[in-house]
Amino acid sequence: MSTVPISAYLTLALVLFCIGLFGALTKRNTVIVLISIELMLNAVNINLVAFSKLGMAPSIDGQVFALFAIAVAAAEAAVGLAILIALYRNRKSVNIDEFNTLKN
Amino acid sequence: MMENAWIIPLFPLLSFLFLIVFGKRLRAVSAYIGIFLTFASFIISLLVLIARFGSPTYKAEGIWLTIGDYQLTAGYEVNQLNALMLVIVSLVSFLVHMYSKGYMHGDGRISVFYAYLGLFTFAMLGLVLSPNLLQTYIFWELVGLGSFLLIGFYFYKEEAKAAAKKAFIMTRIGDVGLFIGMILLFWQVGSFEYDEIFAAVSAGMISEQMITLIALLIFIGAVGKSGQFPLHTWLPDAMEGPTPVSALIHAATMVAAGVYLVASMFPLFAASETAMMTIAIIGAFTAIFAASIGIVQKDIKRVLAYSTVSQLGFMMLALGSAGYVAGVFHLMTHAFFKALLFLAAGSVIHAVHTQDIEKMGGLWKKLRVTGPLFLIGTLAISGVPLLSGFFSKDEILVSTWVHGHTFLFWLAVVAAFFTAFYMFRLFFMVFTGEARGKTANVKESPGVMVIPMLILAVLAIGAGYVNTPWFGTFLGDWLTEGNQALGHGHVEGPAWIMVVATAVSLLGILLAWLMYGKKTIARDWFSAGVPTVYGILANKYYIDEFYKMTIVKGTTAFSRILHFIEVIVVEGIMKMVAGIISGLSKLGSRFQSGQVQTYGTVAFLGLAILVIFFAVTGGYLK
Amino acid sequence: MMFPYYLSLLVFSPLIGILVLVFIPKVKEPFIKLIGFLATLPALILTVIAYIAHRNGAELSELAEKVGWMQFVNPEMAGKIYSIDYELGVDGFSLLMLMLTALLSTLAAIASIHIKKEWKGYFMLFLLLEIGMLGVFAAENLILFFIFFEITLIPTFFLIGKWGYFEKEKAAFKFLVYNGLGSAILLIVIMVLYARTGTSNIEAIMSIMASDSDHLVVSAGTKMGLLIALVVAFGVKLPIFPLHSWMVEVHVQAPPSIVMLHAGILLKIGAYGLIKFGMGIFPDQFQSLAVWLAVLGVINLLYGAFLAFIQTDFKKVLAYSSISHMGVVLIGLGALNAAGIQGAIFQVVSHGLIAALLFLLVSIVHERYGTSDMAKISGLAKSMPIAAGILLTAALASLGIPGMSGFISEFMAFLGLFKEMPVLAAIGCLGIIMTAAYLLRAVLSITFGEAKRENTEVNDVAPLEAIPAAILVGLIVLIGVYPNILSGSLTSTIETILLGMGG
Repeated sequence: MSTVPISAYLTLALVLFCIGLFGALTKRNTVIVLISIELMLNAVNINLVAFSKLGMAPSIDGQVFALFAIAVAAAEAAVGLAILIALYRNRKSVNIDEFNTLKN
Repeated sequence: MMENAWIIPLFPLLSFLFLIVFGKRLRAVSAYIGIFLTFASFIISLLVLIARFGSPTYKAEGIWLTIGDYQLTAGYEVNQLNALMLVIVSLVSFLVHMYSKGYMHGDGRISVFYAYLGLFTFAMLGLVLSPNLLQTYIFWELVGLGSFLLIGFYFYKEEAKAAAKKAFIMTRIGDVGLFIGMILLFWQVGSFEYDEIFAAVSAGMISEQMITLIALLIFIGAVGKSGQFPLHTWLPDAMEGPTPVSALIHAATMVAAGVYLVASMFPLFAASETAMMTIAIIGAFTAIFAASIGIVQKDIKRVLAYSTVSQLGFMMLALGSAGYVAGVFHLMTHAFFKALLFLAAGSVIHAVHTQDIEKMGGLWKKLRVTGPLFLIGTLAISGVPLLSGFFSKDEILVSTWVHGHTFLFWLAVVAAFFTAFYMFRLFFMVFTGEARGKTANVKESPGVMVIPMLILAVLAIGAGYVNTPWFGTFLGDWLTEGNQALGHGHVEGPAWIMVVATAVSLLGILLAWLMYGKKTIARDWFSAGVPTVYGILANKYYIDEFYKMTIVKGTTAFSRILHFIEVIVVEGIMKMVAGIISGLSKLGSRFQSGQVQTYGTVAFLGLAILVIFFAVTGGYLK
Repeated sequence: MMFPYYLSLLVFSPLIGILVLVFIPKVKEPFIKLIGFLATLPALILTVIAYIAHRNGAELSELAEKVGWMQFVNPEMAGKIYSIDYELGVDGFSLLMLMLTALLSTLAAIASIHIKKEWKGYFMLFLLLEIGMLGVFAAENLILFFIFFEITLIPTFFLIGKWGYFEKEKAAFKFLVYNGLGSAILLIVIMVLYARTGTSNIEAIMSIMASDSDHLVVSAGTKMGLLIALVVAFGVKLPIFPLHSWMVEVHVQAPPSIVMLHAGILLKIGAYGLIKFGMGIFPDQFQSLAVWLAVLGVINLLYGAFLAFIQTDFKKVLAYSSISHMGVVLIGLGALNAAGIQGAIFQVVSHGLIAALLFLLVSIVHERYGTSDMAKISGLAKSMPIAAGILLTAALASLGIPGMSGFISEFMAFLGLFKEMPVLAAIGCLGIIMTAAYLLRAVLSITFGEAKRENTEVNDVAPLEAIPAAILVGLIVLIGVYPNILSGSLTSTIETILLGMGG
């Protein structure tokens, strides 16, 4: 039975990660930045699952970690969005250029 | 007795310490303490002198400072010169202490005055007792300190402040010469002891040029202290101090310290012909130079001050002409008659409350004691026969002539003529003629001021007889006893010198009498006749102005330039360094945009570079 | 009589005061001042006891302490263990410096009665500063020395920055930047020495360097470089021209009681370091550098004197006078013979006492007149005769009147230099005249002259102010009249140094 080779999963993950990274570093809308970060996390999840099935020493650990990562990502998204809403109430904007209070 | 000589300076020191600490409570009583303690010094000095007649030089020393392999010592020595000076200093100091009781009466700071007098007397006696050059230098500076404090006694007067500062700095210029000479001598000889220095000189251990250099440097010290040209300008200004101080310090003792120094280091100077010549020239020049200024001064104390400068020039001339005895002899007689003149002048000032001789006149009848006493002093300094100044000045002229300084001899003769003239000009203007100021309240000074003057007057007449060509040269023989380097006790000179000396002094007196006494010659024939020369003399050859223009202004200007360097260069470089650093920091802070995305990009790029680097090189640079 | 950990107790005794101060409410002003004063006493008593014991023949090596502290292994040199020990010890010179430090700390604590605010913080920092200074002179280990050296910086920074005058912050930062740079250079030198010799004990390094005549451990060029770095590092402290501009600012802006310590002790750390490390560790290189040190000394002497001549603020005059007087130290070191080195050490002690006395008077006068501008004060002899008398005495001591300590040190330093470089020394003698000129100009314009009307109602020196002044005057005169009182304990130190120089 021919299966999809591991390189295909890894390529998909790489592409997803790069899209996510690009989005996280360039997009002006904070919501999109958050979504891009989710994309990067999901790219990692794909890797974890792929190695868990097709890696050198397949085991269930990878899938368990993927589940953990999904849970953490959910929590992170919730916190991130909460901060974003607070910021939006404050600034009436979700444009990331305006959030530069780290300066000074 | 001589082993106890160290006690002599301790009495005035005790007086100083006691009065500085308790003076405020004692007030007028402090005068008695000062008088009593200096009297004790005088008595012991006298006993030491008497003891010295019968026994050899005494010297005692202890280790004072260890420097590596050298042990510097401190101690005291009693030789002929020291013993004589001890008596002169302690006697004049005692008399001035006593006189000040009347003169300073009612001054609120009289205890401070007596304390300073004590400090000065201590230093002067210590200077006289010093057995080595270092100790001499130490006390040399301390007498300068005493003089400085007393000149500035009326500290609230701007003139006194300026005079005190000037005296200190001018003498310090000379002192640095002495300081350098002393240290150079130490590295030549390996000791500061006079004995060892003279031994090294006579053994020829030091090269000719070195001796000349050292002798000249030491002489600079003497020039500063004794008010010789060109460092003389402080001495007339020092008259801002109370008059008893002028008598003690700026006439009898401290200013003579320069002469004393040259005398006590005479074997060193005698080894260098150049140094001796320089001393003689400076001395003769100062003698005539100061005398010419003295002719036109209008302040009674300034006339006396220039006369002091001039007389000190005579002493230097004597020493420079190998007339050791003549120099010391004149030092002694001058101490007595100049102290007398200053105290008498003080008595006049005390009575009329002015120092301007134009405002005096006709005081002979009012001051029945001071007048004759002043006349005795004037006769003595003018070199009228049978008084002390006659014998000592004659001795100087003889030495100069015998030593072959013909030109300097005639300079000295002219200076002697000037001396007689300006002293009698002073006398006639103050004591004869019409009163030109308020004289209604003029009263003779109290006994406590008169007695010291009487004692000095006796000495001014009689002190010359210890060394005369007629009755024997006792002083000269005694001073040079057992020391070939000091020359002979008596120098035979042609008899006409005495006649010339007498003639010029009488001529000077005659001229003064014609101009100021009888007034047959108009007073202003000179000032009206040659106003330019008169102006130069009245302004003391513009030397003060010259110094102000060159040295004082020069120093200030140089300081300003350095200040400029300090601000521009030193602080500029510092500011530049600080500027570069803060500029770099500003550049760095540009990266802190506050944009998380920028930070992320940079971090990612850094990571990427590192990954590529490790991928290519495998983590090893080589 | 010398119990163990004598030196540790001595160095850390002010810590007791700090601990007591922690528990005192900060409003109890007199009590805090009393504690601050009392806390300086144990160190003073202990140093005096040690000095007397030493004069009576006790060996100073008995006082040395050594406790293991840190150890680490160099992976490249298996078996070679690098260790840093806690080592204290004294010789004649450092004992003298310890005594001076303890004495001036006590007197400065008395002078601190004029501090106006936050006494608690002030005295805690003050005592910390004293620990640092005592430690510097007691450390026998380069790393320990450096730690104490840094400890002095931080309290000084805060003491200047918080309790100083108008431009105090600027002065404090200037102080920190300059001295921080100096420390950094010093740290490099220490680290190089440590890495190359494998020990940080000063005597061990000295003996290694002395036996290293073939430059196997450290190359000749490196030695020279290290010495120059040392001169720069300590030159900032001393200060040597042109590294001095921070020090003028500190003198003017810092509270006078701190300047007493600063001019009295902290500047002297520079001289101490040059003598102990510069001469001790690099004797051969020091010899070739000596001419330049002497030249720098003469420059310092004259430069400071000329600048002091035109200042209008009395504190600035004193600041430049300190620069000028530190020139005498360099002159003595540059002479490199017994007279010169002894003169330099005497000058260190003597200037410590005189500068402390002068700044004590500055604090007294400033307290009453609210200024130290010479144009605004005159006739002090009328309004405050005792203060004026002491001020005149201090100035005379500073300008080198015989009978006071300043003369002895100046005399010996010049005596030394005249032997080696007479022409340079003769130029330096110009400084003696200039010193008299600028000090008299400054002091006479304050003390003499007409008393200004508003000045007539000031009180003269209070007893509490007179005691430290009297002690300082007494010591200055004592050293001036009988200098052998100091030179006795210095003989062995100087012999050791000259032996290192090879004769």
